Amino acid sequence: MTSHVLDLLPLWVEGDLTATERAAVDRHLAVCPACQSATEQLKTSQAWLREAMAAPFDASDQDRLRRRVMDQIRAEIPAKPIRRLAVRPALLAACVASLLVATLVWRRGHEVEGGIPQLMPPPLPEVVQPPSAPDLPSSTVGRQTASLPHPRGRPAPRQDLEASAQGEPTRIEFQTANPTIRIIWLAQSKSLPETTPSIEEKS
Amino acid sequence: MFPGSEAVLMEEGIPTLPAAPANDPLEHLVRRIRAGEGEAFEALMARTEARLLALAWRILGDRHLAEDAAQETFLRVFRSLNTFRLGEPFEAWMVRIAVNVCHDLSRKRGPLPLPMETLEILEGDAAPMNAEEAVLLQQRRAMIQRALRSLPQAERAALVLRDLEGFSTEEAARILGVRPVTIRSQVSSARAKVQAFCSRLLQPPQGGRP
Repeated sequence: MTSHVLDLLPLWVEGDLTATERAAVDRHLAVCPACQSATEQLKTSQAWLREAMAAPFDASDQDRLRRRVMDQIRAEIPAKPIRRLAVRPALLAACVASLLVATLVWRRGHEVEGGIPQLMPPPLPEVVQPPSAPDLPSSTVGRQTASLPHPRGRPAPRQDLEASAQGEPTRIEFQTANPTIRIIWLAQSKSLPETTPSIEEKS
Repeated sequence: MFPGSEAVLMEEGIPTLPAAPANDPLEHLVRRIRAGEGEAFEALMARTEARLLALAWRILGDRHLAEDAAQETFLRVFRSLNTFRLGEPFEAWMVRIAVNVCHDLSRKRGPLPLPMETLEILEGDAAPMNAEEAVLLQQRRAMIQRALRSLPQAERAALVLRDLEGFSTEEAARILGVRPVTIRSQVSSARAKVQAFCSRLLQPPQGGRP
Protein backbone atom coordinates (compact mmCIF):
# COMPACT_ATOMS: atom_id res chain seq x y z
CA MET A 1 0.00 0.00 0.00
CA THR A 2 1.39 3.42 -0.95
CA SER A 3 1.83 6.13 1.67
CA HIS A 4 -0.59 9.01 1.15
CA VAL A 5 0.51 12.52 0.28
CA LEU A 6 -2.27 14.41 2.02
CA ASP A 7 0.19 16.77 3.74
CA LEU A 8 1.57 17.89 0.42
CA LEU A 9 -1.75 18.36 -1.35
CA PRO A 10 -2.44 21.90 -0.02
CA LEU A 11 0.86 22.98 -1.57
CA TRP A 12 0.35 20.90 -4.71
CA VAL A 13 -2.95 22.61 -5.61
CA GLU A 14 -1.28 26.03 -5.86
CA GLY A 15 1.99 24.88 -7.37
CA ASP A 16 4.11 25.49 -4.29
CA LEU A 17 6.04 22.20 -4.46
CA THR A 18 9.48 21.63 -5.87
CA ALA A 19 9.75 19.68 -9.09
CA THR A 20 10.79 16.55 -7.23
CA GLU A 21 7.94 16.78 -4.75
CA ARG A 22 5.43 17.50 -7.48
CA ALA A 23 6.52 14.47 -9.48
CA ALA A 24 6.14 12.25 -6.43
CA VAL A 25 2.65 13.56 -5.73
CA ASP A 26 1.63 13.15 -9.36
CA ARG A 27 2.76 9.50 -9.30
CA HIS A 28 0.77 8.88 -6.14
CA LEU A 29 -2.38 10.61 -7.40
CA ALA A 30 -2.38 8.41 -10.46
CA VAL A 31 -3.03 5.37 -8.34
CA CYS A 32 -4.85 6.70 -5.24
CA PRO A 33 -8.57 7.57 -5.55
CA ALA A 34 -8.71 8.83 -1.96
CA CYS A 35 -6.04 11.44 -2.57
CA GLN A 36 -7.66 12.34 -5.89
CA SER A 37 -10.87 13.06 -4.04
CA ALA A 38 -9.04 15.17 -1.46
CA THR A 39 -7.39 17.08 -4.28
CA GLU A 40 -10.73 17.89 -5.86
CA GLN A 41 -12.06 19.13 -2.51
CA LEU A 42 -9.04 21.35 -2.07
CA LYS A 43 -9.39 22.80 -5.54
CA THR A 44 -13.05 23.52 -4.85
CA SER A 45 -12.38 25.23 -1.54
CA GLN A 46 -9.64 27.35 -3.10
CA ALA A 47 -12.02 28.44 -5.84
CA TRP A 48 -14.64 29.30 -3.24
CA LEU A 49 -12.05 31.23 -1.27
CA ARG A 50 -11.30 33.48 -4.22
CA GLU A 51 -14.96 33.84 -5.04
CA ALA A 52 -15.98 34.71 -1.49
CA MET A 53 -13.20 37.18 -0.79
CA ALA A 54 -13.92 39.56 -3.65
CA ALA A 55 -13.79 42.97 -2.01
CA PRO A 56 -17.18 44.62 -1.39
CA PHE A 57 -15.98 48.17 -2.15
CA ASP A 58 -16.99 50.32 -5.08
CA ALA A 59 -15.81 53.63 -6.52
CA SER A 60 -17.79 55.71 -4.02
CA ASP A 61 -16.05 53.97 -1.12
CA GLN A 62 -12.69 54.75 -2.68
CA ASP A 63 -13.62 58.38 -3.28
CA ARG A 64 -14.73 58.78 0.31
CA LEU A 65 -11.51 57.25 1.60
CA ARG A 66 -9.41 59.49 -0.65
CA ARG A 67 -11.25 62.60 0.51
CA ARG A 68 -10.79 61.74 4.17
CA VAL A 69 -7.11 61.04 3.77
CA MET A 70 -6.38 64.10 1.62
CA ASP A 71 -8.24 66.39 4.03
CA GLN A 72 -6.04 65.19 6.85
CA ILE A 73 -2.88 65.40 4.78
CA ARG A 74 -3.60 68.96 3.67
CA ALA A 75 -4.09 69.90 7.30
CA GLU A 76 -0.74 68.34 8.17
CA ILE A 77 1.37 69.75 5.34
CA PRO A 78 1.98 73.27 6.84
CA ALA A 79 3.15 71.74 10.09
CA LYS A 80 5.71 69.46 8.54
CA PRO A 81 8.95 69.92 10.47
CA ILE A 82 11.14 69.76 7.40
CA ARG A 83 9.58 72.90 5.95
CA ARG A 84 9.83 74.81 9.21
CA LEU A 85 13.52 74.02 9.46
CA ALA A 86 14.09 75.15 5.89
CA VAL A 87 12.60 78.59 6.53
CA ARG A 88 14.28 79.33 9.82
CA PRO A 89 17.83 80.30 8.77
CA ALA A 90 16.64 82.69 6.07
CA LEU A 91 14.13 84.28 8.41
CA LEU A 92 16.73 84.72 11.09
CA ALA A 93 19.23 86.31 8.74
CA ALA A 94 16.61 88.72 7.43
CA CYS A 95 15.66 89.77 10.95
CA VAL A 96 19.27 90.43 11.94
CA ALA A 97 19.97 92.44 8.80
CA SER A 98 16.84 94.53 9.26
CA LEU A 99 17.74 95.26 12.85
CA LEU A 100 21.23 96.38 11.94
CA VAL A 101 20.09 98.66 9.13
CA ALA A 102 17.33 100.20 11.23
CA THR A 103 19.74 100.92 14.08
CA LEU A 104 22.26 102.57 11.80
CA VAL A 105 19.68 104.73 10.03
CA TRP A 106 18.15 105.84 13.29
CA ARG A 107 21.46 106.84 14.83
CA ARG A 108 22.68 108.66 11.74
CA GLY A 109 19.46 110.61 11.47
CA HIS A 110 19.67 111.82 15.06
CA GLU A 111 23.33 112.67 14.73
CA VAL A 112 22.70 114.97 11.78
CA GLU A 113 19.92 116.76 13.67
CA GLY A 114 22.25 117.78 16.45
CA GLY A 115 23.30 114.82 18.37
CA ILE A 116 21.65 112.28 20.55
CA PRO A 117 22.25 111.26 24.10
CA GLN A 118 25.07 108.78 24.15
CA LEU A 119 23.35 105.48 24.69
CA MET A 120 26.34 103.41 23.93
CA PRO A 121 29.26 103.04 26.25
CA PRO A 122 32.23 105.25 25.50
CA PRO A 123 34.50 104.00 22.78
CA LEU A 124 36.91 101.43 23.88
CA PRO A 125 40.62 101.77 23.32
CA GLU A 126 41.32 101.03 19.72
CA VAL A 127 44.29 100.18 17.67
CA VAL A 128 43.86 102.10 14.47
CA GLN A 129 45.20 100.63 11.31
CA PRO A 130 48.31 102.55 10.34
CA PRO A 131 47.77 104.75 7.31
CA SER A 132 50.50 102.93 5.47
CA ALA A 133 48.00 100.76 3.63
CA PRO A 134 45.64 103.16 1.94
CA ASP A 135 45.25 101.13 -1.21
CA LEU A 136 43.36 98.32 0.43
CA PRO A 137 39.60 98.65 0.54
CA SER A 138 38.49 99.77 3.91
CA SER A 139 35.86 97.05 4.18
CA THR A 140 38.53 94.40 4.04
CA VAL A 141 41.04 96.16 6.20
CA GLY A 142 38.61 96.97 8.94
CA ARG A 143 39.76 98.08 12.33
CA GLN A 144 41.00 96.04 15.12
CA THR A 145 38.87 96.74 18.10
CA ALA A 146 39.49 95.61 21.61
CA SER A 147 36.41 94.20 23.22
CA LEU A 148 35.43 93.67 26.78
CA PRO A 149 33.68 90.55 27.97
CA HIS A 150 29.94 90.95 27.93
CA PRO A 151 27.24 89.29 29.96
CA ARG A 152 26.22 85.97 28.49
CA GLY A 153 23.31 86.13 26.08
CA ARG A 154 23.28 89.94 25.71
CA PRO A 155 24.63 91.42 22.50
CA ALA A 156 27.02 94.31 22.93
CA PRO A 157 26.80 96.69 19.98
CA ARG A 158 29.58 99.14 19.34
CA GLN A 159 29.69 101.83 16.71
CA ASP A 160 32.47 104.01 15.39
CA LEU A 161 30.57 107.03 14.13
CA GLU A 162 33.62 109.24 14.33
CA ALA A 163 35.33 107.06 11.86
CA SER A 164 32.50 107.50 9.45
CA ALA A 165 32.82 111.27 9.67
CA GLN A 166 36.48 110.92 8.68
CA GLY A 167 35.59 108.91 5.59
CA GLU A 168 36.35 105.58 7.14
CA PRO A 169 33.75 102.82 7.33
CA THR A 170 31.28 102.74 10.18
CA ARG A 171 31.76 99.66 12.24
CA ILE A 172 29.11 98.01 14.36
CA GLU A 173 29.95 95.02 16.46
CA PHE A 174 27.69 92.63 18.23
CA GLN A 175 29.18 90.21 20.68
CA THR A 176 26.98 87.14 20.81
CA ALA A 177 26.56 84.86 23.78
CA ASN A 178 29.19 82.66 22.27
CA PRO A 179 32.50 84.42 22.93
CA THR A 180 33.96 83.02 19.74
CA ILE A 181 31.25 84.55 17.52
CA ARG A 182 31.06 88.27 16.88
CA ILE A 183 28.87 89.98 14.30
CA ILE A 184 30.67 92.87 12.61
CA TRP A 185 28.90 95.23 10.24
CA LEU A 186 30.82 97.77 8.15
CA ALA A 187 29.25 100.61 6.17
CA GLN A 188 30.67 103.57 4.36
CA SER A 189 28.92 106.35 2.50
CA LYS A 190 30.93 108.10 -0.12
CA SER A 191 30.35 109.40 -3.57
CA LEU A 192 31.06 107.20 -6.50
CA PRO A 193 34.50 107.75 -7.96
CA GLU A 194 34.56 109.79 -11.08
CA THR A 195 35.32 107.62 -14.00
CA THR A 196 36.49 108.72 -17.35
CA PRO A 197 35.07 107.04 -20.39
CA SER A 198 37.31 104.43 -21.85
CA ILE A 199 36.99 106.06 -25.25
CA GLU A 200 38.68 109.20 -24.00
CA GLU A 201 41.44 107.18 -22.41
CA LYS A 202 42.17 105.62 -25.73
CA SER A 203 42.15 108.93 -27.48
CA MET B 1 4.51 24.83 14.46
CA PHE B 2 2.41 27.64 13.06
CA PRO B 3 3.22 30.81 14.92
CA GLY B 4 0.21 32.88 15.64
CA SER B 5 1.76 35.97 17.10
CA GLU B 6 3.72 38.85 15.64
CA ALA B 7 6.40 38.36 18.24
CA VAL B 8 7.31 35.06 16.65
CA LEU B 9 7.37 36.72 13.25
CA MET B 10 9.73 39.40 14.43
CA GLU B 11 12.17 36.85 15.84
CA GLU B 12 12.90 35.69 12.35
CA GLY B 13 14.05 39.12 11.25
CA ILE B 14 12.73 41.40 8.56
CA PRO B 15 14.53 40.88 5.30
CA THR B 16 14.71 43.71 2.84
CA LEU B 17 12.18 43.96 0.10
CA PRO B 18 13.17 42.86 -3.39
CA ALA B 19 14.29 45.32 -6.01
CA ALA B 20 11.51 47.17 -7.76
CA PRO B 21 10.89 46.71 -11.45
CA ALA B 22 12.97 49.02 -13.59
CA ASN B 23 10.10 51.43 -14.25
CA ASP B 24 7.93 51.27 -11.16
CA PRO B 25 5.14 53.72 -12.02
CA LEU B 26 4.58 54.52 -8.37
CA GLU B 27 8.18 55.58 -7.80
CA HIS B 28 7.70 58.64 -9.99
CA LEU B 29 4.80 59.70 -7.79
CA VAL B 30 6.85 59.07 -4.67
CA ARG B 31 9.56 61.41 -5.94
CA ARG B 32 6.99 64.14 -6.64
CA ILE B 33 5.48 63.81 -3.19
CA ARG B 34 8.92 64.02 -1.62
CA ALA B 35 9.56 67.17 -3.63
CA GLY B 36 6.60 68.76 -1.89
CA GLU B 37 3.74 68.03 -4.29
CA GLY B 38 1.06 67.04 -1.85
CA GLU B 39 -1.44 66.56 -4.65
CA ALA B 40 0.68 63.77 -6.11
CA PHE B 41 -0.33 61.73 -3.10
CA GLU B 42 -3.90 61.81 -4.36
CA ALA B 43 -2.73 60.23 -7.61
CA LEU B 44 -0.84 57.63 -5.62
CA MET B 45 -3.96 56.82 -3.65
CA ALA B 46 -6.06 56.53 -6.78
CA ARG B 47 -3.73 53.80 -7.99
CA THR B 48 -3.49 51.82 -4.78
CA GLU B 49 -6.62 52.37 -2.72
CA ALA B 50 -8.68 49.54 -4.24
CA ARG B 51 -6.01 47.00 -3.45
CA LEU B 52 -5.43 48.37 0.02
CA LEU B 53 -9.11 48.35 0.90
CA ALA B 54 -9.46 44.77 -0.31
CA LEU B 55 -6.38 43.66 1.59
CA ALA B 56 -7.58 45.22 4.83
CA TRP B 57 -11.03 43.74 4.44
CA ARG B 58 -9.65 40.27 3.76
CA ILE B 59 -7.44 40.38 6.82
CA LEU B 60 -9.88 42.05 9.18
CA GLY B 61 -13.15 40.64 7.85
CA ASP B 62 -15.05 43.84 8.61
CA ARG B 63 -15.95 46.52 6.11
CA HIS B 64 -15.85 49.56 8.38
CA LEU B 65 -12.73 48.41 10.13
CA ALA B 66 -11.10 47.89 6.76
CA GLU B 67 -11.87 51.48 5.77
CA ASP B 68 -10.32 52.72 9.00
CA ALA B 69 -7.28 50.54 8.40
CA ALA B 70 -6.86 51.81 4.85
CA GLN B 71 -7.09 55.41 6.03
CA GLU B 72 -4.54 54.86 8.77
CA THR B 73 -2.26 53.05 6.34
CA PHE B 74 -2.27 55.93 3.87
CA LEU B 75 -1.56 58.43 6.62
CA ARG B 76 1.34 56.33 7.89
CA VAL B 77 2.64 56.01 4.34
CA PHE B 78 2.55 59.77 3.89
CA ARG B 79 4.24 60.50 7.21
CA SER B 80 7.01 57.97 6.71
CA LEU B 81 7.52 58.40 2.99
CA ASN B 82 11.02 59.76 3.58
CA THR B 83 12.04 56.39 5.04
CA PHE B 84 11.08 54.54 1.87
CA ARG B 85 14.14 53.49 -0.06
CA LEU B 86 13.84 54.26 -3.74
CA GLY B 87 14.45 51.18 -5.83
CA GLU B 88 12.33 48.91 -3.68
CA PRO B 89 8.81 48.02 -4.79
CA PHE B 90 6.62 50.70 -3.30
CA GLU B 91 3.47 48.61 -3.25
CA ALA B 92 5.13 45.85 -1.21
CA TRP B 93 6.38 48.48 1.26
CA MET B 94 2.87 49.87 1.55
CA VAL B 95 1.34 46.41 1.98
CA ARG B 96 3.77 45.73 4.81
CA ILE B 97 2.53 48.89 6.57
CA ALA B 98 -1.08 47.88 5.90
CA VAL B 99 -0.58 44.44 7.42
CA ASN B 100 0.92 46.03 10.53
CA VAL B 101 -2.00 48.46 10.78
CA CYS B 102 -4.46 45.59 10.43
CA HIS B 103 -2.73 43.65 13.17
CA ASP B 104 -2.78 46.72 15.42
CA LEU B 105 -6.48 47.25 14.84
CA SER B 106 -7.20 43.57 15.25
CA ARG B 107 -5.46 43.53 18.62
CA LYS B 108 -7.38 46.58 19.82
CA ARG B 109 -10.71 45.31 18.58
CA GLY B 110 -10.51 41.70 19.72
CA PRO B 111 -12.20 38.82 17.93
CA LEU B 112 -15.07 39.72 15.66
CA PRO B 113 -18.36 37.86 15.80
CA LEU B 114 -18.69 35.36 13.00
CA PRO B 115 -20.50 36.74 9.97
CA MET B 116 -24.18 36.24 9.46
CA GLU B 117 -25.34 33.86 6.79
CA THR B 118 -26.82 36.67 4.71
CA LEU B 119 -24.22 38.75 2.96
CA GLU B 120 -24.45 41.67 0.66
CA ILE B 121 -24.53 41.08 -3.06
CA LEU B 122 -21.36 42.35 -4.63
CA GLU B 123 -21.08 44.44 -7.74
CA GLY B 124 -19.32 41.62 -9.51
CA ASP B 125 -22.36 39.41 -9.18
CA ALA B 126 -23.96 40.82 -12.27
CA ALA B 127 -24.19 37.40 -13.92
CA PRO B 128 -27.80 36.34 -13.90
CA MET B 129 -28.61 33.64 -11.42
CA ASN B 130 -31.77 32.29 -10.01
CA ALA B 131 -32.75 32.69 -6.40
CA GLU B 132 -31.43 29.28 -5.41
CA GLU B 133 -27.99 29.99 -6.89
CA ALA B 134 -27.86 33.35 -5.17
CA VAL B 135 -28.63 31.76 -1.83
CA LEU B 136 -25.97 29.12 -2.35
CA LEU B 137 -23.43 31.77 -3.28
CA GLN B 138 -24.17 33.76 -0.15
CA GLN B 139 -23.89 30.64 1.97
CA ARG B 140 -20.53 29.81 0.48
CA ARG B 141 -19.27 33.32 1.15
CA ALA B 142 -20.39 33.24 4.73
CA MET B 143 -18.78 29.84 5.16
CA ILE B 144 -15.45 30.91 3.71
CA GLN B 145 -15.38 34.05 5.80
CA ARG B 146 -16.09 32.06 8.93
CA ALA B 147 -13.28 29.73 7.97
CA LEU B 148 -10.87 32.61 7.47
CA ARG B 149 -11.76 34.16 10.81
CA SER B 150 -11.10 30.88 12.53
CA LEU B 151 -7.48 30.95 11.34
CA PRO B 152 -4.64 32.27 13.46
CA GLN B 153 -3.63 35.78 12.50
CA ALA B 154 -0.31 34.83 10.91
CA GLU B 155 -1.86 32.05 8.82
CA ARG B 156 -4.64 34.34 7.66
CA ALA B 157 -2.18 37.04 6.61
CA ALA B 158 -0.05 34.51 4.75
CA LEU B 159 -3.08 33.04 2.97
CA VAL B 160 -4.40 36.46 2.00
CA LEU B 161 -1.08 37.61 0.58
CA ARG B 162 -0.26 34.37 -1.18
CA ASP B 163 -3.62 33.20 -2.53
CA LEU B 164 -5.72 36.37 -2.73
CA GLU B 165 -3.27 39.22 -3.30
CA GLY B 166 -1.15 37.30 -5.76
CA PHE B 167 2.23 37.67 -4.07
CA SER B 168 4.72 34.86 -4.48
CA THR B 169 5.88 32.89 -1.45
CA GLU B 170 9.12 34.86 -1.37
CA GLU B 171 7.38 38.22 -1.67
CA ALA B 172 4.88 37.34 1.04
CA ALA B 173 7.78 36.26 3.25
CA ARG B 174 9.55 39.58 2.78
CA ILE B 175 6.42 41.57 3.42
CA LEU B 176 5.60 39.67 6.60
CA GLY B 177 9.22 39.53 7.73
CA VAL B 178 9.51 35.76 7.88
CA ARG B 179 11.33 33.07 5.96
CA PRO B 180 9.72 31.56 2.83
CA VAL B 181 9.55 28.17 4.48
CA THR B 182 7.38 29.69 7.19
CA ILE B 183 4.99 31.08 4.60
CA ARG B 184 4.88 27.67 2.96
CA SER B 185 3.91 26.03 6.21
CA GLN B 186 1.37 28.70 7.04
CA VAL B 187 -0.43 28.64 3.71
CA SER B 188 -0.42 24.85 3.67
CA SER B 189 -2.05 24.73 7.07
CA ALA B 190 -4.51 27.50 6.21
CA ARG B 191 -5.63 25.84 2.97
CA ALA B 192 -6.16 22.53 4.72
CA LYS B 193 -8.16 24.19 7.49
CA VAL B 194 -10.38 26.09 5.07
CA GLN B 195 -11.02 22.93 3.10
CA ALA B 196 -11.82 20.98 6.27
CA PHE B 197 -14.13 23.76 7.45
CA CYS B 198 -16.02 23.68 4.16
CA SER B 199 -16.24 19.88 4.11
CA ARG B 200 -17.56 19.77 7.62
CA LEU B 201 -20.30 22.28 6.92
CA LEU B 202 -21.24 20.81 3.58
CA GLN B 203 -21.55 17.25 4.83
CA PRO B 204 -25.18 16.17 5.12
CA PRO B 205 -26.19 15.81 8.75
CA GLN B 206 -25.60 12.31 10.04
CA GLY B 207 -28.30 10.22 11.59
CA GLY B 208 -29.40 10.77 15.17
CA ARG B 209 -27.14 10.17 18.09
CA PRO B 210 -26.38 6.58 18.88
